[in-house]
Amino acid sequence: MSLLAQSLVNGLGQGAAYALIAVGFVIIYKSTYVISFAQPALMAAGATAVALLTVQGGFNFFVAVAITVVAAAALGFGIERSILRPMVGKPVFIVAIITLGLDVVIRIITNRFIGFEVRPMGDPWGLERTQVLGITFQHRHVAAFVTAGVILALLYAFFQYTRMGLAMRAAAFDQETALAQGVNVGTVFGLSWAFAAVLAAIAGVFIGAGSTIDQGTWVVGLKALPAIILGGLDSVPGAVIGGLAVGIVEALFATYQSTYMPWLGSNFSVVAPYVLMLLVLMVRPYGLFGTPEVQRV
Amino acid sequence: MLACTAPRVALVALVVALVAACEDIDDVDELAIATDVGVTDEPCPDAVNEGNGCIYLGALSDDPGGEFGAIAEQLTAAQTAFWERVNERGGIGGYDVDVTTHLHVTGAEPEGHRAAFEELRDEVLALTQTLGAAATAEILDDLDDEDMLAVPASATSAWLFTDVILESGASYCVAAANALDHAVDALDEVETVLAVHYPGQYGADAAAGVSYAADAHEVEFVAFETRPGAEEQAAAIDAVLAEQPDVLFVATGPLEMSTIASQAAARGFDGHVLGPAPTWDAALLESPAAELFEERYWLAAAWPPWDADTPGHEALRDALDEAAPRDGYLAGWISQYPLQAAIEAAFDRGDLTRAGLRAALEDLDEVDYEGMLPGGAGHFAGEDPDDQAVRESLVLQVDPEASTGTSVREDFFAGSTIADVELSRPCFEEL
Repeated sequence: MSLLAQSLVNGLGQGAAYALIAVGFVIIYKSTYVISFAQPALMAAGATAVALLTVQGGFNFFVAVAITVVAAAALGFGIERSILRPMVGKPVFIVAIITLGLDVVIRIITNRFIGFEVRPMGDPWGLERTQVLGITFQHRHVAAFVTAGVILALLYAFFQYTRMGLAMRAAAFDQETALAQGVNVGTVFGLSWAFAAVLAAIAGVFIGAGSTIDQGTWVVGLKALPAIILGGLDSVPGAVIGGLAVGIVEALFATYQSTYMPWLGSNFSVVAPYVLMLLVLMVRPYGLFGTPEVQRV
Repeated sequence: MLACTAPRVALVALVVALVAACEDIDDVDELAIATDVGVTDEPCPDAVNEGNGCIYLGALSDDPGGEFGAIAEQLTAAQTAFWERVNERGGIGGYDVDVTTHLHVTGAEPEGHRAAFEELRDEVLALTQTLGAAATAEILDDLDDEDMLAVPASATSAWLFTDVILESGASYCVAAANALDHAVDALDEVETVLAVHYPGQYGADAAAGVSYAADAHEVEFVAFETRPGAEEQAAAIDAVLAEQPDVLFVATGPLEMSTIASQAAARGFDGHVLGPAPTWDAALLESPAAELFEERYWLAAAWPPWDADTPGHEALRDALDEAAPRDGYLAGWISQYPLQAAIEAAFDRGDLTRAGLRAALEDLDEVDYEGMLPGGAGHFAGEDPDDQAVRESLVLQVDPEASTGTSVREDFFAGSTIADVELSRPCFEEL
C-alpha cells in the first residue's frame, strides 16, 4: 500500500510540471486554434536560463526564476508579434508548422548555451526529502505541486476577475464577435503566447530541479501532448488533470510493470501515457473535458 | 710488376664495389618503400618539414551539434594535436602526416558514415577516427576489403575480434569487471549488484563485464536495460528501489546516471554506485548529488585522468595548452599511438601500402603509450583476441580538486575475475 502511495506521490510531483506545460498549450490553442509545437523548446530555454543564471551567474535561484519569467514573457510576446501575427487568417496547419520551425530554432540557440556538458539547475530543493507515514516526499515535487497550484489559481482569478481575462475568454469563444465588441484580439494573442512561454519556463525549472539538464531535456515537453489530448485541447482544467494523469500513469507503470507485465519489456512507462491517450480518444475523441465539435452537414 | 698491379686492381675493384653498393643503398631508399593509397611524395598542405612527402589519414567524425558532438570535437582536437607533435618531431620516415584534409563529418549515422567513407576510400592510408559503433559496423567489411586500418572512438570488446580496428586500453567489459572486483574487496559486504545499462556495444558490454565479476564473487546479478534521456529513467529508478542492490552499476550517459543515482538516493537507496568513464561529467560536481558522488561513486576507467603524471599526459597537456581539461581529449590522444606505431613498423618493413600497414601489425607486440597505458598494451601481433586484450584498468573516484573531477583510487590492475575469463567473443553477446 505504501508502495502505491509512494508511486502516486511521485507521479503527482512529476505530473505537476507536465500540467504547467499542458496549460500553456491549451491557452495558445484556445486563443488561436493552433497547437504550438514550440512549447518544448520554450521549456528547455527557461530551464537553461535559470541553470546558467544560478550556477554560472551566481544569482539567487528565485531571482534567476524571476528574471527568466520576465524574459520568457517578453520572448513569447515577441514571437507572436513578429512571427505569428502576420499569419493571422492563414490556415491553422501552416501556423502549426511555423511553430515547429520555431521549436527547432529556439532549441538550437538554447543548445549553444547548454553546451556539451550537463547543467545543474542550482535549485534549493536538491535531493531534500521528508518522510510522512512512511512515504517519501521529495521537496522538489512538493514545490512543483504547490507552485502549479498557485499559478493555476492565479490564472483562474485572472480569467474570471480581470478585464483582460474576460477579453481573452471572449476571444477564445468567438474571435470575430470579440473584435466587434472592441476586444484587441492581437493583444490577446500576444498575451496567450507570453503566458504559455512563462508556464513552459517554470515547468522546465521543475523538470531540472534536483537533477541536471542537457541538450535532450526538451523531449520531456512532448509529454504534455498526451496530457492535452487526454484532457481536451481547449480545456484548462482538462490540461491540469491530463498532466497529472500522465505523471501518475507513468509512475505506476514504472513501479509495477516489471512485476506484473514484464513481457512488455523495460521502460514501458514511457509509452503508457500514449496508450492511455489512445484509449481515451477511442471513447471520447475530444478528450475527457474537451468541447465536442458539432458540424452541420 | 704483378705484385704492384694486384693491389691497384684490388683497390679499383673495392672502389667500384663501394660505388655500386652506394648506388644500391640509394635504390633501396627510393624503391624499397612501397606505397599506394594516401601516401605521396608531394608535401602535405601546410607541411611542417620541408622535403617530406605526405601520409594522408582520414577521419569519420561528428559535427559539434550532432549526437556525438561533444566527444567528436575533443577527439578530433586531440588527434590533430597528436599528429602535429609527430610532424614537429620530423614526421615518419621522411613523411609528414596530414589528418585534416580528409576529415569528414558524418553525423555518426550509418548512411552518412558510408557516404563519407566512399569519398575517402581512394584518398587515405588509414582512419584516425571512426565515430559511432553502429556507424563503424556499417563500414567494417569495406575496411577489411580495403586493408584499411581504423581507430575507433569507443572501447567495446567487439573490436578485439576485428583485424582492422586499432583499439587502445581495456574494453568497457574488462574495466567494469575490474571495478566490481575492486568494489567487492573495498566494500564491507556486496551480495547484490544491479546493472542499469544502455543496450548495445557500450552499455551491454560493460554490464556483461559486471556479470562476469558477479559470477566470480557469487554476487546476485540483475540487469535492467534503459534508454537515453532523463525522462526515460523512471522505471530504472524504481528498479533500483525495488532491488536495493549493494552496488548499482550504471552504464549510460552522465545525465542518465546522475538522474538514476540521485533520484534513487533521494528515495532511500543507500548502496554504492559504479559506472564506466563515459558516465562522468565534472559539471556533476555542481549538481545536488555532488555529495553522493563524492562519497559513493567510483568509475571504471581504461586510463588515468587528465592530471596524471605520465610523459604522455604531460605531452597532451602541453599540446592542448589552451583547452579546458576534458577526458575526451585523452581518448583522442591515446587512440593514436598504435596507428603511429603501425606506420613506423610498416616503414621499417619497407611497405607503406595499406596491405603493408595491416601486415605490420604482426610486428606490434607492444605499443609505447608513453606511460598512459600499462606495459604490454597495444599487443596486436598474433591472432588470439584473448591474448591481445588489455586486462588492466583503473578505478577512479570523484575528487573536486582534480581538473576533470576525478583522481585515481586504484591504479592499473587486472582483477581476479577477468584474469580467468577467456575472451572468445564480444562480452555483450553473452549478457
